[in-house]
Amino acid sequence: MPSITFLPSYRKITVEPGSTILDAIQRAQIQMNVVCGGQGKCGKCIVYIKNGSVEFDREKFGKFFTADELGQGACLACQAVVRDDLHVMIPDSSLIQQQKILMESLGIETPFQPSVWKYYVELSPPTLEDPSPDLTRLVWGIQKQGGPLAEKMYAPLDVLRGMPRVLRDSGWRVTATLALVPGGYRIIDIEKGDTRKELYGVAIDLGTTTVVAYIRSLVDGHVVGIASNYNRQISCGEDILSRVNFARKNGLPKLQALAAESINLAITTAANGAGIDREDIYEVVVAGNTIMTHILLGIDPAYMIEEPYVPVVRRYLTTAAPRLGIEVAKDASVFLFPAVSDFIGGDIIADILASGMGERDEISLLVDIGTNFEVVLGNRDWMFSCAGAAGPALEGGEVLFGMRANPGAIERITIDPVTLEPQYQTINSIKPMGICGSGLIDLLADLLRACVVDRTGRINTEIIHPRIRQGVHFPEYVIAWKQESGNNKDIVITENDIKNLIMSKASVLAACITLMKQAGITRNELSTIYFSGAFGNYIHKENAIMIGLIPEVPIEQIRNIGNGAVEGANMALINRKKRKTLDEIAKNIAYIELNAESSFMDEYTGSSFLPHTDLSLFPRVQKMLDECRLKKIPPGVP
Amino acid sequence: MAENSPDLGGKIGYVVLGATKAEDGTRSVSYRLGGESDLPFIGMKTSLGSIPLVAFEICDDPSYWSPIVTSYTGDLVSDTPEWATAAEQQYGADLVRLYLTSTKRRGFDDFPSITKVTEDVLSGTGLPLVVEGSNEPAIDSEIFQRCGEAGQGERLLLGTAEAGRYRSVAAAAMAYNHSMVAQSPIDINLAKQLNILLREIGVKADHIMIDPYTGSLGYGFEYSYSVMERIRYAALKGDTDLAMPMIASAMDSLSVKEVREADPVIRDDIAVAWEFYAALSSAVAGASIVCVRHPKTVPLLKLAFRELWAGKKPGEF
Amino acid sequence: MVLKALDIYKLLPKKNCKECGDPTCLTFAMKLASGKGDIDKCPYLDLNAKNILGASTRPPIQLVKIGVGERRFAVGEEFVVFRHEKTFYHPPGIMFQVSDIWPAEKIESVTRRVGSEHFVRVGTDLTFSGVAITNESGDPDVFSKAVGVVEATGTHIPEVLMAADPVVQEEGLKKCGNFRPLIYSATKDTYKPMCALAKKFGSPLVVSAKDLESLGEMTKLCNAEGITDLLLDLSFPSLRDYVPAATEIRQKSISRSAPELGYPIFLDTTRYEMQDTALVLGIDKYAGVIVTPALGPASSVATLTLRQNIYTDPQKPIQMNPGIYPVGNPGKESPVLLTVNFSLTYFTVQGYLESSRVPCYMFIVDTEGLSVLTAVAAGKLNETLVRDSIKKFDLENLVSHRRLIIPGYASPLSGKIEEETGWKVLVGPRDAAEIGDYLQKEWKI
Repeated sequence: MPSITFLPSYRKITVEPGSTILDAIQRAQIQMNVVCGGQGKCGKCIVYIKNGSVEFDREKFGKFFTADELGQGACLACQAVVRDDLHVMIPDSSLIQQQKILMESLGIETPFQPSVWKYYVELSPPTLEDPSPDLTRLVWGIQKQGGPLAEKMYAPLDVLRGMPRVLRDSGWRVTATLALVPGGYRIIDIEKGDTRKELYGVAIDLGTTTVVAYIRSLVDGHVVGIASNYNRQISCGEDILSRVNFARKNGLPKLQALAAESINLAITTAANGAGIDREDIYEVVVAGNTIMTHILLGIDPAYMIEEPYVPVVRRYLTTAAPRLGIEVAKDASVFLFPAVSDFIGGDIIADILASGMGERDEISLLVDIGTNFEVVLGNRDWMFSCAGAAGPALEGGEVLFGMRANPGAIERITIDPVTLEPQYQTINSIKPMGICGSGLIDLLADLLRACVVDRTGRINTEIIHPRIRQGVHFPEYVIAWKQESGNNKDIVITENDIKNLIMSKASVLAACITLMKQAGITRNELSTIYFSGAFGNYIHKENAIMIGLIPEVPIEQIRNIGNGAVEGANMALINRKKRKTLDEIAKNIAYIELNAESSFMDEYTGSSFLPHTDLSLFPRVQKMLDECRLKKIPPGVP
Repeated sequence: MAENSPDLGGKIGYVVLGATKAEDGTRSVSYRLGGESDLPFIGMKTSLGSIPLVAFEICDDPSYWSPIVTSYTGDLVSDTPEWATAAEQQYGADLVRLYLTSTKRRGFDDFPSITKVTEDVLSGTGLPLVVEGSNEPAIDSEIFQRCGEAGQGERLLLGTAEAGRYRSVAAAAMAYNHSMVAQSPIDINLAKQLNILLREIGVKADHIMIDPYTGSLGYGFEYSYSVMERIRYAALKGDTDLAMPMIASAMDSLSVKEVREADPVIRDDIAVAWEFYAALSSAVAGASIVCVRHPKTVPLLKLAFRELWAGKKPGEF
Repeated sequence: MVLKALDIYKLLPKKNCKECGDPTCLTFAMKLASGKGDIDKCPYLDLNAKNILGASTRPPIQLVKIGVGERRFAVGEEFVVFRHEKTFYHPPGIMFQVSDIWPAEKIESVTRRVGSEHFVRVGTDLTFSGVAITNESGDPDVFSKAVGVVEATGTHIPEVLMAADPVVQEEGLKKCGNFRPLIYSATKDTYKPMCALAKKFGSPLVVSAKDLESLGEMTKLCNAEGITDLLLDLSFPSLRDYVPAATEIRQKSISRSAPELGYPIFLDTTRYEMQDTALVLGIDKYAGVIVTPALGPASSVATLTLRQNIYTDPQKPIQMNPGIYPVGNPGKESPVLLTVNFSLTYFTVQGYLESSRVPCYMFIVDTEGLSVLTAVAAGKLNETLVRDSIKKFDLENLVSHRRLIIPGYASPLSGKIEEETGWKVLVGPRDAAEIGDYLQKEWKI
C-alpha cells in the first residue's frame, strides 16, 4: 500500500491505492480546510506534491492555480488520487486555522437551582437486629441529610450492582449522586468517602463550526473550566447542507461519532485545564442547531431539508450520556435544547433565553448571523421567527479574499473619503492575508461613504485612482498592495464580492422586515436588537446599519448577547426551571416560512440596495450619506 | 391600502420633451408630461393629467426589425428619415422613437453614422424624438455622446439607462440637456433604486422617465401592468423617487408566438390587437407614453385616448 | 382593511387550548390573517372579537353565480383595489351578444362558437363565457323564440337576458330560467316586477341607473325585495365615465364605506363605437360581466389573453414553462445548459447565451419559479427532477453527447445528478455574465 508523508510535520500514513490525498489527510487527523466537502469546487484544499506523483486533472482544476503554483506541484487534495508513495506538503493556508472563538458570556443572573446533588452519608452497617437492605439504608441516610423523601428515590440496576461492594469497602461512608427525573430522584452514582465537592456539570454549544464547553461546579454554580475546538465534522463538509448530504450517504454514524468526539475533546480540554476528572461531570446540557441536535442523537436529518421541513422532535429531550458516546460520569444524563423547525433550533432557543426577550413586554428583535441566519421578533406574549440562507459572504466566503476570523484577517478598516486610502487592522496584527466578515462590513460602508461604490454596490470605474481598477473579471478596489500583504498578492475586493455581500445582507434585512410587517411593528417600536453569535461581537454596529444589515435603530439599542447558545446552555445547566421555560418558548414561537411568503422576494429586492430602497427606513444613514456627498461633490458641479 | 380619498398627497413630476422654435429648438411641438395627482382617468375629475402620447418606433437597421412591420411597410424602412416622416404624417404618431439597431452589428465603429442618422431623422420629422442608443457597454459612451450632441437643443429623450450601465447615458443627457429613459426589469424596487442612483449622480427628476419594462401581452404583461400600477400608486402616495412619468413599450409584441405564427391573412390584425391591448392597458395603469411598431396601431390608440381623455390634445392639460 | 396576524392575535383568548386544531393562538391568528382559517373554530371568542374578525373576513363584494353546469361562472368576491395587494380572483364573464331579430341560424352560429371555441395558453383552456340575448323586437314571443334557439343548441352556456320590459323578460325566463341566467335589467320603474322574476327563477339581476348614487339606492330597494345577487350596470352613455365609476365602486366597497355598492359590475360594450377599447377597460378595471359583439379572430385571442393576464396572481414568481429552448441553431453536438424556470433567471441566461453566439439548448426544469439558489436550498432542484425532466423532454434523442452544464450555484448537486442520470455534469459559472466565456473555453466535444 502506498505510504504518504506529510510535510512539514513528517506525519506518515498508508492508504489504499485509489484513495484521494484528502482521505489520507483526514485519516491522519489533520484538520484540512474543505469548504465544499471534497467536490473540487472550492479550491481551498491546496497541497503540493514534493515527491512522487498523483492522478490529478490539471486542466479541469487549473483555474485554482497560477502557472507558478502548478509548476511547484500544486493540486487539490480532494481530487488527487494516490497510486504510489508520496511526499505531500500542506501549506498553512490549507489548514483550518486557530480561529477567534467567542468565549465570554454576559453573565445574566440566573438563580442556582441545579438538578443534580451529592449527599455524603455515614451509615450504620447492617446487623441481625437491623437487617434493612442496603438501598433502604442508603435512602434513609440521604433523607436524614436533608435529601429528598426516601420513597422518592430509586436506583437503576447498574448502581445496585456496585452498591454492596462500595458500601462495605468504604466502611459505610459514601457519597451518593442524585438526579432529578420525572417522578422522583434517581441515584446515579455511589462513591467511596466524601466527594461532595466533585460535582460538576457541563454546558455545551454544539455549533456547526465550533464546539464550546463550560464546566461548572454544581455545588455552587461557578465556572471551573472553559474550552472550545472545531467541530470535527468539518472534514465531512463545511456547511450544514453538506453535512446532511454526507449523512444521506450512509454517513450518519460517522457524523454522530464525530459530534460526540468533538464534545469529548472540548470537555477533556476544559476538565484538564480545571484539573478535574471527567467522571465527576454528572450532567450535560447541549444547545445546538436542529441538524446538529439530530445528528448527535443519531436521528436522520435528511427530511428536514426537504419540504415541509419538519424536525423529528420539537421539545427538549434527555438521554444518558453513554448512549451518545459522551464520556462523562457513566450515568450522567444529557439534556438537549428543543427545536422549533429546521432552522430555529436549540441554539436559537438558547439565544432567546439568554437575551431575556421572552420575559419582557417590550418588543425585541434577535438576529443570529452565520452562513444561515435566524431572526426572532417578539416579547413575552408572542414571537415570530424565520430563517434563511445568508450565503457565506458575511463570514468571508464567496469573496475572493474573504477569510474566516483567523490571524491575518483584516477585521477593521476605514477609507479616507478624500484620498481613498485605507487604514486597516488585522487579527494578531500580522500582515494581511484576506478580510473577514467584520472587515467586509466596514469596507462596504466606507466604500459607500466615499462614493467608490453606488448604492447597488457597483464600483465607479470612472474614478481615476490606482486602487480602483478593472480586474480579470470585475472592477475591483485594492485594499492592500502585494508588498504589504502576507501572501504576496494584491488584496482586493471585487464588484462581484460586493454583490455577494449585498445579497447576504439583503436576505437578513428582508427577513427582519418581513417579520416586522407580519407583526405590524415599525422600527420605532423595537426596544432592542440583539446580535447573537461571534459575528455580532466583532462588527461595527454603525456600519452594520450603514449598509442595511439590520433595521435602523439608535446604536445604544443594539446589544450583543455573545454566544447565546452557550449562555443559554449554562443557564439551563444551573437552573432547572429554565428548562421548562425552554419548552414554553419553543411552543410559543410561530415560524414563518420565508419561501412561502410571497412578499419576501419583494422585501429582498428592496433590501438589495445600500442601505435599502426605502430610504425613509434609514433616516440617520441617509443624513450621513448626504453629508458625505456634500463633501465629495464640490459646489457648482451638477 | 386603498383609501377612498381624492387627494393622496403626491403628484407626478413634469418632464418636457421636444423644443419648438420658441424654445430654441426646431420641433413643431413640445410636450409637457406628468402632473397627475390621481389615478389614471379618475384624475379628470379632480386634477388634470396629460393625455397619453403614442410613440412610433423605427430603427436605422431594419434587419433587426420584425418582418411583420417590414413587409407591411415595404421599402420605406430602409430610409430611416422617410420612415420618421411617415410616422408623423401618415400614421399620426405623437413621437418618434429611433432605435440605433445598426450598433448591434459586431464590431460596430461607424460613429459618424450615428450623428448623421439622428440629424436626418430630426429633419425628417418635426415631432419630438426618443433615441435608443446602444446596448454594448464598450461603445455606449461614444454613441450616447453622438446622439446627445446631434440633438442638442431638441430636448430628446435618450435611452436607456439600466442599473448596471447608467453613467454614460446620464453623462450625455446632462451635457446636452436631454431627458432619459430609466429602465428596470418589472420591479418597483429596482425602478426606485435606479432613480436614486441617477439622482445621486446629479440627474434631475424632471429629466427622467420610468420604463418599468413592459412584457408583451401574455408574456410578462401580467407583471408589468401591476408594476406600473404600483409605481404610480406609490408616487401618488408621496414617493418622490417614483414620481416620474412612465413610458411603456411592449416591444416584443410582434415576435410572440401568437403573432409570429398567425395565419398570414390575419397576421397584421393580430399584431395590431396585441399592441393595442397592451398599450391601452399600460395607459390605464399609468403610462404617459406608449410605444408601438405597427403603423395601424397608431390611429386606433390615438382615437381611444382622445375619446377617453375627453378630447384633449397632446400636451394640453 | 386587512388585519395583521398580531392584530387578530390580540383579539383571541390566548389560551393556547388547541381546540381550533392549531398548536397556539398565534398560529391560528396567522392562519386567519392569510385567509386560510375559520374563526368559528375558536370556541372562546367574545362577541366583539367575533364581529371585528367576521367583518374583516366577509367578502366586501357579493359573490354572484351565473349559469349552471360545467360552464357556470361566478363573479365578485374580490378583496383588493390593486392586483399587487393580493390578486384578483374572479375573471369577468365575456358574453357574445345576439339579437332576437336575427335569423335563427345566426343566433345559433354565435352560440355554437361560444360553446366550442377555445384557446390554450400556458396550459389553460380559455373560452368566452356565454351569450347575451337582446330584445330588439320588443315582442315577447320573438324574444322567447330567440332564447329557445340558444337553448336548443345544447351548449349549456350561461346567458344574459337583455329585455327591459318585465313581460318580455318573463317570456325569456320561461325558456331558460332554471339555468340561472342573468336578468338585465331592473330600473327604478321596473325593479319590483324584475325582483319578483329574479326571486321566482333564482336568477341574479343587473340594476341600472344614471349614476352611482342612484345605483346604490337601487340595490337597497332590491335588497328590500329580498334580492341580493345583484350586478351594477355601468354602461353609461360616455365610455370615459366607466373607469372612474368602476374605480370608485371598487374603492368604496373594499373600504366598506358604501356596502350598497358591494356588487360586481356589468358593462355592455355594444353601446359604444370603440368596442375593443371598452373591452380592455372592462377587463382591466373591475368588470364582472361584459357584453360584446361576437369578436373577430384577432380581438378574440387578445381579449382572452388580457383577461388571463389580469387575473394571474402577480405575486407568484414569474415562471417559464419547463422544456427545451434552443438558442441559435443548435445541433446534436451542442451544449445543454440546465437552469430553473424562474423567468428572470431564464431571460438573463438566455440574453448572455445569445450574445455568446454559441448555439445551445437551454434545459429548463420546473422549480416552481424559484431561483437557482433558493431551489437548491429548498431541495426543489434535485437529481430526481433532473432525471425525470431529461426523460420528459427527450433530451437523450436531442443531442448525441451526454454532458450537462449546471448552474454554478447548483454545484453541490453535481455528483448526485451524475449518479442519477448517467450524464456527465459540468459545473458552469455562478454568474450568467460569464457563461459566454465559459462555453468558449470549456465546451469541447
